[in-house]
Amino acid sequence: MPTSSTHSSAGLRIQSILSKPGSGIVVMLVLFVIVMAVVSPAFVTFGNWQNIANQGVFVLLLALGMTVVLIARGIDLSVGSVMGLSAGVSAYLITQGLIFPLALLAGIACGIFCGLLNALMITKLGLPDFVATLAMLGVARGVLFLWTAGTPFTRYMTPAYSLVGGQTQIAGFVSIPIIISIAACIALSLLLRRSVLGRYLYAVGGNPDAARLSGIPVNRIKTYAYLISGGCAGLAGVILAGRATNVAPTMGTGYEILAITAAIIGGAALTGGQGRMIGAVLGALTITLITNAMNIAGISSEWQQLVTGVILLIAVLLDRLTTYFKHRQRSTEIAAAVSVDPTAKPVQHVMS
Amino acid sequence: METDPAEKASLVSSRRRFLGTGALVGTVGLLSACTTPPGGATSNGGGGASGGGAEGSDDYTAAIKKLVAGRELQVGFTPPVLSEYYTQMENAAFTRMAQLEDLYGVKWKWEKSSPTGNFNAVEQQISTVQSWTSREFDIVFICTGANFATMQGVYKKAMDSGTKIFQFNQPVELYPIDDVNTVSNIGYDNRWQSGYVAGKFIADTLKGQGKIIQIMGPAGSDWTKARLVGFNQAMSENPGLEVVGSADGGYLRDKGLSAAQDLLTRNADVNAIYGENEDMALGASQAVDAAGLKQWDGNQGVVIIGADGLLSGMDAIRNGKLTASVDVNSVDNAIKMIDTAFQSIVLKNYVPKVSNITTHLVTKDNVDAYASYINGVMSPAKKY
Amino acid sequence: MSTLRHPSRLLAIDGVAVSIVFLVMLGYFSVASPAFLTGDNIYNTFVESISTVLLAAGLTFVLISGGIDLSIGSTIGLSAAATLFVAMTGASTLMAVLAGLVTGLVIGTINGAFVAGAGVSDFIVTLATLSIGAGLLKVFTGRTQLTGTDNASFLALAEGRILGIPTGVFIAAVVLVVLEVILVKTPFGRAVYATGVNANAAFLAGVSVRRIRFSVFVISGVVAGIGGVLLASHLNSVQPGLGGGYELTAIAGCVVGGVSLAGGRGSIWRAALGAFFLSVLSRGLQLIGVDPLWFSIVTGAAIVAAVAFDRGAQRWLQSSPRPARALKTAADASTAQNAH
Repeated sequence: MPTSSTHSSAGLRIQSILSKPGSGIVVMLVLFVIVMAVVSPAFVTFGNWQNIANQGVFVLLLALGMTVVLIARGIDLSVGSVMGLSAGVSAYLITQGLIFPLALLAGIACGIFCGLLNALMITKLGLPDFVATLAMLGVARGVLFLWTAGTPFTRYMTPAYSLVGGQTQIAGFVSIPIIISIAACIALSLLLRRSVLGRYLYAVGGNPDAARLSGIPVNRIKTYAYLISGGCAGLAGVILAGRATNVAPTMGTGYEILAITAAIIGGAALTGGQGRMIGAVLGALTITLITNAMNIAGISSEWQQLVTGVILLIAVLLDRLTTYFKHRQRSTEIAAAVSVDPTAKPVQHVMS
Repeated sequence: METDPAEKASLVSSRRRFLGTGALVGTVGLLSACTTPPGGATSNGGGGASGGGAEGSDDYTAAIKKLVAGRELQVGFTPPVLSEYYTQMENAAFTRMAQLEDLYGVKWKWEKSSPTGNFNAVEQQISTVQSWTSREFDIVFICTGANFATMQGVYKKAMDSGTKIFQFNQPVELYPIDDVNTVSNIGYDNRWQSGYVAGKFIADTLKGQGKIIQIMGPAGSDWTKARLVGFNQAMSENPGLEVVGSADGGYLRDKGLSAAQDLLTRNADVNAIYGENEDMALGASQAVDAAGLKQWDGNQGVVIIGADGLLSGMDAIRNGKLTASVDVNSVDNAIKMIDTAFQSIVLKNYVPKVSNITTHLVTKDNVDAYASYINGVMSPAKKY
Repeated sequence: MSTLRHPSRLLAIDGVAVSIVFLVMLGYFSVASPAFLTGDNIYNTFVESISTVLLAAGLTFVLISGGIDLSIGSTIGLSAAATLFVAMTGASTLMAVLAGLVTGLVIGTINGAFVAGAGVSDFIVTLATLSIGAGLLKVFTGRTQLTGTDNASFLALAEGRILGIPTGVFIAAVVLVVLEVILVKTPFGRAVYATGVNANAAFLAGVSVRRIRFSVFVISGVVAGIGGVLLASHLNSVQPGLGGGYELTAIAGCVVGGVSLAGGRGSIWRAALGAFFLSVLSRGLQLIGVDPLWFSIVTGAAIVAAVAFDRGAQRWLQSSPRPARALKTAADASTAQNAH
């Protein structure tokens, strides 16, 4: 972010904080937690936050990959099905006696392969991203249905898989899925911010034609985006198989919408060129918190869908405050810069 | 599915034994009420035909065979989702169809269609019925999550043009039976044969005192509604029981797990969990383990009960991961369904509008009996 | 002119390739299943596809303007509930119809206000209203049994016949024509395209981009309301999950018909064709008895094949000699000009 304020006034500092993308969501989350703490003290216990973290990793992993794809101006509708299929691959291979780490790798590889197919359909056949990944949604789900013939895969659980699935905590407070998610988040964050690929992803999503003209291999960059998304879905799938202890043919249905929602709450946009990993984390947290809070507050399931929608609306409205403050921040800053140093360059809006 | 070789051998031999008996005694399965204990699943069913001492005789078999006259029936089977329960049902149906074919020479053509969950789940079933009607199927077996009134219109059109509709596993008890446009409805009463049974079991086990959480199916489904009626009745008969939390587990294990975790956070002192299906109950069971709570051991711990009657659920009961389950009897559901259609369509008999089959409360004590009852049909003599 | 001398160039016209795939598919199903061309099946196919075709048509406005509307699935369900509820109270058919239309209008207005007024992401806003609408429907149907009415004139809205055509199909066709005319023949329609092609340029050219963004959501909502009215009349019952997932089918239909999610490209008749295509595909596969386990795979593959053929034909023609490209550029230029 280019706009770190040098002014000491408290008001300006608050403005500066609020102008950061996603800060509206943070404000919303803080308010939400305070309200919930009043409604039910159980909500703010350590155990509950452990639960929230362990429940949220699946949406989070999918949202990380989805954010990368959205940055590159794509969309991946297949992640839910691919997650289910990857779960099926590793579960099945374990029952066939393949050693555990290889089975997990095969599950992840399955995700990456699906991502590759998506990318090939988009770059080689020229299909719109929506159509290609919608088809993959159907195909991956269909393969899992055919393969299981409707009966879930079971009896593949081992103590090691319980550990990977997050059923056993390490040192009593953290689980493998949480560690993996944090690692994935940091790795992808570095990739986006520090690597050439990261810059190219934003460039391709920001303006594909300009990117192409400036010599960026647009198709290859898009392919990487889908490979990352597929890999994330594969990773989420093998972990989910460890958590659910069976792989039903419907596993992962509907997760694509959750992932897209989390990514967009976190600042990504369908129009490409925007999004950050920390945003995906906030988005996934928001989604998981809403369900958790409603269950704990004892809101009957009949009303939950309605309440979810209302909370989402409030969340995005609050986030709009961010943009409001961002505009104010920028104008104050420009004014200040001009008055202090007439030679200062105008503040540029840099991709974040 | 894994079955150890010895068990498999015994299944095969028991089936052979049955077929042998079938040839000798004729139509035990078709005609009489169940006299064999569970385990001889294939001999159950009770088509409820003419009755009397003549059944099972060679004469009778030959006479029926003559009536059947080698008729071929085109059958469509459409469950609301592909799941273990409906796979068990399908195998039981095949077992029964193969017997009827063997005995009376009726031929079957079987087609299965079920929504695969992506989009248009309910509409897909409506258009399935319409397609099968256009293709002049003789029989459609259907269980659907679609709206009751919507389906009656679809059924009426199908029946008018000669495709006969039979519903299975459908909570018709929620509606006036005269409004149901089917030949027959084979199932069980979700209120008193499922929901109430679960509530009563919890009451009996906890001696009428305790806190309960519920993990339910998607809000608004007929099954959820009907089962809750029965469950709530059991609750009102036992004022010492209190439902302290309820959440939507979407009929899925991982969602059931998350929902149970959330509810346990607020109610760590819970005494029982009711999962409306077995998958969610098993998810709840994981949540209980993860929260460091003890499961019911006969004297104390958390009672967990589900409903379905899946082989995987029975495994869990055997391993102490599930206290009990209401087995809504996939096997008899299917056998009765086939028998009713055979009686009605081929023999032109008058079948009851509603046929309820027996459901079982499965616990560690009787799980072997009901598991082998299901295993008895899982490798049918012929697949259609 | 040149298109007549080189028939292959016909493919370059938007929608022709998809139409060809559609006709091939119709031909195949007719041969493969004797039940496909029966009166019953044709009737059912048309009547059952009304909802998604209408939703796709309304959605096209939003998509062309560069937005997205996910709420249509629950809007159609909620409108159907409102319509049937009013019809069941014994009110006149007109009141029942108005109830459905107003429901659509209200949801569309809320979407438009949030998106155009407050500038919030349309994906999240319409996802939220999708969730709220579906939740309201669930709560509403949980308290009132919407089991139908005897009001014959209301039922005739969808099930009557005009010249042998089901009224519902007739009404839907009229709506489609009106929408196509609005989109193609009016300054408003051209402004919708302009907004989708490049909102900044459109703004500079004097288009009130905000007003356009607001209006497209209202149109989408009202068209979903019409769909809801027809659905209520057709089914004469409303269930908790009615309309769930329709939004994805409608979007898929639009995209199959060549409407671009990035905005600026598409037309009503192609969106309707795309939605109808998916409907016929699903029915056809059932009629020829495809194993349901293969169903979603075959559907996915068929969608890919259809769209790949469409795009492939265009790309092939664009990479080979000029006329096709010239034609397209000219079309683009005229669109841009009209927008100014």
